[in-house]
Amino acid sequence: MNHIEIIGLGQTRCAEKWNVGLLDLAIKAAAQALAEAKDVTPCALIAANALSGALFDQRNLGTFIADRLGLHGIETHTVATDEASGGSAIRLASALIQAGRCEAVLVVGAEKTSDALPDQLEAVRATGLDALQEAEFGFSPTIAAALGMQQYLQTHGLDKGLFYHLSEIAHRNGAHNPKAIFPWVLKQEQYAKSPMAAAPLSVCDNAPSCDGGAAVLLRRSKPQSTHVRLLASAAVSGPTGIAAPITSLALPAAQASAARALDEAGLALDALSLFELHDVNAFFAALSIEAVGLAPRGEALTRAAAGHFYTDAAHPLWTMGGHKSRGIAPGAAGVYQLVEAALQLRQQAGPCQVPNAKTALVQCLGSFGALAVTHIIGV
Amino acid sequence: MQIARTWRQQASNLRLSGTQCASCHAHFFPGRIRCPHCASTDMQPHAFSGQGEVLVTTVVHEAPRNFEEQVPYLAGLVRLAEGPVIAALLTDVDPKDVAPGMPVEMVTRRIKSDGTSGPIVYAYKFAPLISELQDTP
Repeated sequence: MNHIEIIGLGQTRCAEKWNVGLLDLAIKAAAQALAEAKDVTPCALIAANALSGALFDQRNLGTFIADRLGLHGIETHTVATDEASGGSAIRLASALIQAGRCEAVLVVGAEKTSDALPDQLEAVRATGLDALQEAEFGFSPTIAAALGMQQYLQTHGLDKGLFYHLSEIAHRNGAHNPKAIFPWVLKQEQYAKSPMAAAPLSVCDNAPSCDGGAAVLLRRSKPQSTHVRLLASAAVSGPTGIAAPITSLALPAAQASAARALDEAGLALDALSLFELHDVNAFFAALSIEAVGLAPRGEALTRAAAGHFYTDAAHPLWTMGGHKSRGIAPGAAGVYQLVEAALQLRQQAGPCQVPNAKTALVQCLGSFGALAVTHIIGV
Repeated sequence: MQIARTWRQQASNLRLSGTQCASCHAHFFPGRIRCPHCASTDMQPHAFSGQGEVLVTTVVHEAPRNFEEQVPYLAGLVRLAEGPVIAALLTDVDPKDVAPGMPVEMVTRRIKSDGTSGPIVYAYKFAPLISELQDTP
């Protein structure tokens, strides 16, 4: 697949932006990406957004973004696959280019969460689960993740405090990311005092919802180009329902998606420079690490505690803060991940820079792990 | 429409009615019209016994809309006697008395009120198995 390159990047700071609307977030990010490749006009725009229809914000976002950007006459789409929307949009963009339908495609992820009250937002995010048998019964992704953490601790005989190390890694890196909503180091005593949302999941185990926009401009590669290239793309779905990942303590879709992407890229795990995995909560952070193969089952936390995922270790993780420190704009999450990974490969990550980064694996998940989208990029 | 949806769900939510595949005999809750295991479309209605055991629970302090008034509430996974695992709220029990493996049975309870004008939704929750409680000295 290495005939697709990333020629433009854009992102807004993740935050609660009371004075900025959904379309403004999208336009700001998209304009940055387009400005990086002034001579290129995309023939398609794919928007990634998970919640706006349910939050009574703009639907059919792609068409409205294109209009505001003055990109009339191009094809537009809007992808909504829960928190995997960003990854799905990138995959569809690459498919359009691969199929010869488009020369360049703009992917724009955007989400506006701060207009909703917390209980409303939690209810809308819950519709990414089974709406009739889970959301209708008072379950949300946070509650499901709490059950998952409890099961993980029971099964593997671990202490809850070990989950601290996952959030610590994200915050250690995010502390240097100017786009992060919480750019500070997380101390163990802060984590220990963090209020419970649903035991054993505390506020510090959950990525903060935020407003944000991120964009990437993809193009068919040019000879001798030095742009970051898309080396592989894989999307895999699996069983829905929160019971599957909690009872199995595994994410088969994430595992298969990562394996397919590695196979397509022709790379071994140890050949990769960094990883951006879906740390929307501590449960998924741990299971994603194990699904991708960075730790045997039940050992994600102890490996994190031992420093295996720091930027100077073999497998750097959440190098710009991940969802946990940067914040999660759900529909845009996968686009943020790719923007951050591409910045690393361009050696433009500033204080977050992983030395000599050449390749990266990014993976986002939707509907409590039932859908996984993985991309591998390289220079 | 919420009222039509609530009515449509009554068999599963009030009677724990699912399906069993006539070909491979797998049980499903909620019911399916096509077996994801063997692709058979010969799916027969199956009334679950309502008995099962607790796998894992949590006490919810931050609830989604329409559930705030119930905080703190007990949510968990229950493995039904026939095999399927379902997400359900637990009731009639002190959270500190719940442990994995605890036998439970289905009861019908109010799940939520949809604001001041929407329907009051009743459906299944799970409570400690009465026969087990009676055996407890």
